[in-house]
Amino acid sequence: MADMTPKERVLAALRLEELDRPPVAVFTQSATIGQMEALDVYWPDAHMDPKLMAKLGAGQADLLGFEAVRAPFCLTAEVEALGATVDPGKKDRTPMLKEHPFKMNPMMDEFDEPDLLAPEEFLNTGRPAAVLEAIGMLSEQYGDDYPVIAGNTGPFTVAGHLVETENLVFGIIMSPDEVHKWVDASNEICKAYSQALSDAGADVIQMSEPSASTDLLSPDMFDDYVGMYIKDSLAGVKDAFSCLHICGDTYPLIDNMIETGVTTLSIEEKVDPAQGVEKIAGRASVVGNVGVVNPLLQGSPEDVMKHGRTVAEAGFNVVSPGCGLSALISNENLAALVKSVKG
Amino acid sequence: MSAEMDKLIDIVITGKIKEAKDATQAALDVGHTPFEIVFDGLAAAMDVVGDKYAKKEYFLPQVLLSANTLYQGLNIVLPMLKDSGEGQDKGTCIIGVVEGDVHDIGKNICKALLTGTGMDVHDMGKDVPIKDFMQKAKDEGADIIAESTLMTPTLDGMKQMEKMLKEEGLKGKIKTMIGGGATSKEFSDQIGADAWTYDAVECSKVATQIIKDR
Repeated sequence: MADMTPKERVLAALRLEELDRPPVAVFTQSATIGQMEALDVYWPDAHMDPKLMAKLGAGQADLLGFEAVRAPFCLTAEVEALGATVDPGKKDRTPMLKEHPFKMNPMMDEFDEPDLLAPEEFLNTGRPAAVLEAIGMLSEQYGDDYPVIAGNTGPFTVAGHLVETENLVFGIIMSPDEVHKWVDASNEICKAYSQALSDAGADVIQMSEPSASTDLLSPDMFDDYVGMYIKDSLAGVKDAFSCLHICGDTYPLIDNMIETGVTTLSIEEKVDPAQGVEKIAGRASVVGNVGVVNPLLQGSPEDVMKHGRTVAEAGFNVVSPGCGLSALISNENLAALVKSVKG
Repeated sequence: MSAEMDKLIDIVITGKIKEAKDATQAALDVGHTPFEIVFDGLAAAMDVVGDKYAKKEYFLPQVLLSANTLYQGLNIVLPMLKDSGEGQDKGTCIIGVVEGDVHDIGKNICKALLTGTGMDVHDMGKDVPIKDFMQKAKDEGADIIAESTLMTPTLDGMKQMEKMLKEEGLKGKIKTMIGGGATSKEFSDQIGADAWTYDAVECSKVATQIIKDR
């Protein structure tokens, strides 16, 4: 097994095969300032230019020894193409949504119609088109040896960005039909985009759905307003693994996430690693869940080693940060995470 | 307490938003003062809502519904309370999401629960420069500045806030509370914030305690 390529190892792990050790790879946002400086490629340019995006997306493998490449680096590409105003951010700060392009006001009964781009037009627009090109480059340059992970955004989060998440969540009680209309329209985009990323050469579609966290929605609401859509879009993707990432304490949501039919769950450190693995019980592969703030940002390399080993011993199929990396995380701490697994 | 007050409390807890104004008026009509309505009625109801959220019996939609029901009642009684001079000493809090971040749902839950305690809450919104928090706190004579962020690059703003308070000789006079996904107890101790809270329920409890301890 020692001569497996990173790609063989990661894909075997996602298929739940027995391995001598789990792979270690960043499945969520992977870029840091350390990588940007070493590669002389920086945000915000790398959010827009496919070549720069691919170069920075390969940084985790080229510079740090992680066993995957991944792009892009934020959750705003889709909604920018759909009309949202986005501040491109800085070297150390991801792009930020400044204005929601559509109105949903459940208190005043004011609702815009989800008049979105047709999916095929969306795929040729702005940053989604750039991401597809970058994934193609990563696949061509790294695809023989490394798994290519493509990140995108889930339908509930996209809909929330379009009409403001608080309005969407409030709408669940006040105007459920309007909420369904918006998530359904967003999901058409997510479905086409997920498949296009797979077709461009991605081995894994890693969809982040932070607005479906248990801080916001109950597991029942998840089933009705998120899960049924993801079942159709992400879980239905052909020729790629489907990895669903949700932030926060997902322990109460694990069964619901599995029921969407995705191949893989990505969960945060708020779930105890051993309890998480026990509850998942081999029904899906699981990726995570070394804490991004603690220990990766604020801890020492020793703290990171300890967490990395705990997650590996708990039986995570891929050892990974629990959520998108902060750009401020040091190379030393990332190297320590790799070392904790690869030795 | 009265049947009218019990009904108002139930209306806020269950989020019967359309009945809130009439129920508040009914409580006034049977002789409850605006002070009683805020503190024995609306605040007590939001306390129950906070507990239900903490126990995961309620999720965000129900909290938003109760908060909007609460505001219907407050819109009637708060102006009366200010005119009467009652309940002026429940403290003043400036709340917002620090510059560089726009995730404000957690902050909005905190605002609802803090408002429910009868505190005078000034919401600065999201992506708020530190100097704006500071200016507003001075203008309003605030007891507490409550800052939230979900993103790591913005943590530095919270550190700057402590520095600015020290430079202006206000550290300790205005208490700082921080929260949000990127923050932690360790970080709070490290920068010298007066309190870190895990969630909105704890935020409202700690803020109430800070006001009591003034």
